[in-house]
Amino acid sequence: MIAWRKSQARAAPWFLLPALALLAVFVVWPMLRALAWSFTNADLLAPGQGRGIGLANYSDLLADPRFRRAFANTALFALLVVPVQTAAAFLLALWVNRPEPAWRWLRTAFFAPVVVSMPVLAVLWTMLYQPAQGREMGLVNALLGLVGAPPQAWLRDPSLALPAIAAMSLWQGVGLQMMVFLAGLQGVPRELVEAARIDGAGAWARLRHVILPALRNTLVFVVTVTTLLAFRLFVQPYLMTRGGPGTSTLSLIQSIYETTFVAQDLGRACAAAFLFLLLVGALALVQRRAAREERA
Amino acid sequence: MKRLLSWAASLAAGLLFLAPLLWMLLASLREESRIFQFGDWLGSGGWTATHYADAWRRAELGRALVNSLAQVAAIAGAGLFVNALAAYAFARLEFRGREVLFGAVVILIVLPVEVLAVPMLFTARDLGLTGGHGAAMAGLAVPFVAKAFNIYFLRQHFMALPAELEEAAVLDGAGAWRQFWSVALPAVRPALATVVLLDLLAHWGDFLWPLMIATREETRTVQLSLAALFTQPPVQWGDILACAVLATLPVLVLFRWLQRHLVATEARAGIK
Amino acid sequence: MRAIAAAFNAAHAAHAAQRVRVVLTFFPDFHYTEKIAIAAAARDLPDVLDLDGPLVARFASAGLLRPLEPWFSAGELADFLPTILAQGTVDGRLYALGAFESAAVLYYDRAMLAAAGVAPPPDGRGWSWEEFLAACARLRRAGIEPVALHMNEGADEWFTYAFSPVVWSGGGHLISADGRRVRGVLASAENIRSLRRWQDLFRQGFAATDPLDPDPFGHGRVALDWSGHWMARSHAAVKGDRLGAMPLPAAGAQPVAPCGSWCWALTTAAREPALAARWLRWVTDSRHGIEPVVQANGAVPARRSAFAAFPDYARPPYRLFRDQLEHFARPRPRTPYYATLTSQFAAALRDIAHGADVAARLLTAEDEIQSVIDRREPAGGTAVPPAATGETAP
Repeated sequence: MIAWRKSQARAAPWFLLPALALLAVFVVWPMLRALAWSFTNADLLAPGQGRGIGLANYSDLLADPRFRRAFANTALFALLVVPVQTAAAFLLALWVNRPEPAWRWLRTAFFAPVVVSMPVLAVLWTMLYQPAQGREMGLVNALLGLVGAPPQAWLRDPSLALPAIAAMSLWQGVGLQMMVFLAGLQGVPRELVEAARIDGAGAWARLRHVILPALRNTLVFVVTVTTLLAFRLFVQPYLMTRGGPGTSTLSLIQSIYETTFVAQDLGRACAAAFLFLLLVGALALVQRRAAREERA
Repeated sequence: MKRLLSWAASLAAGLLFLAPLLWMLLASLREESRIFQFGDWLGSGGWTATHYADAWRRAELGRALVNSLAQVAAIAGAGLFVNALAAYAFARLEFRGREVLFGAVVILIVLPVEVLAVPMLFTARDLGLTGGHGAAMAGLAVPFVAKAFNIYFLRQHFMALPAELEEAAVLDGAGAWRQFWSVALPAVRPALATVVLLDLLAHWGDFLWPLMIATREETRTVQLSLAALFTQPPVQWGDILACAVLATLPVLVLFRWLQRHLVATEARAGIK
Repeated sequence: MRAIAAAFNAAHAAHAAQRVRVVLTFFPDFHYTEKIAIAAAARDLPDVLDLDGPLVARFASAGLLRPLEPWFSAGELADFLPTILAQGTVDGRLYALGAFESAAVLYYDRAMLAAAGVAPPPDGRGWSWEEFLAACARLRRAGIEPVALHMNEGADEWFTYAFSPVVWSGGGHLISADGRRVRGVLASAENIRSLRRWQDLFRQGFAATDPLDPDPFGHGRVALDWSGHWMARSHAAVKGDRLGAMPLPAAGAQPVAPCGSWCWALTTAAREPALAARWLRWVTDSRHGIEPVVQANGAVPARRSAFAAFPDYARPPYRLFRDQLEHFARPRPRTPYYATLTSQFAAALRDIAHGADVAARLLTAEDEIQSVIDRREPAGGTAVPPAATGETAP
């Protein structure tokens, strides 16, 4: 066995080399470079000629109303999407958790938008949300008309644009979460549920005391991943509203993109990217904390 | 009766949920002037397949599809190999500093491509992955081959394999490589399929990175071609919809092929 | 373009001492600003670059372009339209020359105007803003949709290009003459007034805020088309004699027309600038460069000597294009901060069309643009040379 151990230790570097080399070159090295740039006022077209300016980029960003707005929008988006989508996915999972083939079709239906890529959906929903102009309008307004509700300007209305994008993102993502919950539900031991029923517990009580506790880890996982993904919001508002009307749908990533390619201020863009990273890292840390509590 | 009712409810719910996608498909077959007029939507002619031909031509979809497929195949294919190797090392091989190194890799999961995109662009340039078509195609795939999340995910599955499998191989005199290739890898085939599927979903819809690196027409991926139709005059909504449908078909096909493996393995990773 | 390059290669293949070949690479138009910036950052710039006029200032100030004076004689330069020279001149040096120019006008359908009892202005003259609004009102009353403003355009540049004249003819500016200050300039009283009147078009239902049809004028749905030279051919084909064109309505005493288009520049990446300049001379030459391109894209020739090849220019609407460019066209501001200026201004215009308060929205845009400029300017670093040309009539 000792020879086996030794051969393991010798083999390990070779196994690790490709992945670690790629990660080092394409993840770690760029990160370090970006960190260095974030302390300068480097210009995109001439990055080597920047001057060091210490933490000025960071303090500027934290005080910049546009950056703050982007943060607020992105956080609001996450706040809208995560609880509602998770709750909806859970309820859907409960609903379709039946073996008959009819329910399998429904599961596929709910999962279909997950498979369609986001740029495609952004373009599609821009058309669905078209405001009414004379007799022409998008499908959403047409459906509203069927039930007698007035047509809305949706993506052109500063107070409706972000919720409209959130609704679309929710529709796209709920199927994937549902599948994860489904698998979790199917992992709940039948005996427990049966025992609870025999004891006289109603459906609601069974849910609260047997099913939810068994699913706690899945729940934490789903919420964390969805939140992290929500903060990476970019494609939908960029393609649908370009961050408008005003700045009502400006996302953090879009503001970084604009700083890079329109203002072409590389130093500031890197600082913004690091602030974003700190934020996302903090969220991930909170999740680990929550998950660990459960195990104890 | 109750069964019929619940059957009907499920059908209605499914159709309502799918309405946008159904509209996308139907509208792509309508004449341009009829797309947004709902007065008499389904009736009285006005059907046409020309949008598909126009979209194919204007967005140069033939080339775009090839580019997208090549990108995803390279990432998923090479990624399978590279990430599984590392995952196996972290799961089964013992060496000093293993846990610390793994911890460092796990931290990288949190990094989204959006944060790294700009500095990664400069790195890609330094490595010659920008510029000409061939270089840019490599630039589309190479940075994403090694993925922290895939390593983490596959490690979970390697660790779940029963020890007897490998002990048998050791007794037969197999070295680490053979253990990996002939014993462990085939045993986690469902997880491998999952990883391929996740890569496919993640990168087929890639927008930001291809936007930055595909500076030539020839290198455009499907998503860029679609977005370009959206902003280049003349804006023909029918063409855009047809392009959207065509951009989705390959994923649906590949997804059907890999579908069976997805649910079971996702759950196990989630619960851990 | 490929044909022009082939002709160049053929002509120069026979050249005695030096073998020069031009290789063309096409960048997609989509997100061009970003693509070029990436190419520059990636040091992937070619010897000669075709770029949109307003971007010249940025590239010149970043030290990426070489001046062109050594390669053109004074007589040749005089042959170019004044707006071409103005567009390519930054800080007193000439960095870019275009092969063609652009023009934006108000097309009209004579029959539809007549049906509403609206008389078009005399040939070559335009309407004042009051006359324009009155005409729209008449058209509305007659049940005809008045004007198409193409608010559904995907590219930001359309908005700045098409509607800066509203600001300019009202006596305002987008940015200070040195190209460094928008504070107090963009949200000036004149601009607020001019853009309020522009907003009226939407308020009163004269123009659609979210049109679906990219060419309502060609499809016979509107009577007036605020559009450019690129529609001239198709409009002429559809409307025939019914087509007319007038300068864009003036918010003040004088009409102003926009101008500017893609132009060629020599980069500092060129190892043999003399040879690269040969291509530049070829592609801006009346016979070899301008004629084929204008035949293909219907743009306005950049050199006076090229007009001889286009008899259409003796007649409307083409005659108007040339007249504008010679007399009252103004290039967009030459400032290194043009990318920010145009993206903010376009966003503001879109919001204003949808009913945003003009003064507040312009002030917000001012703040945004100025903060980007301020971060670059007093701090130094890659400081921009002080006397840039900013925004002035040629």
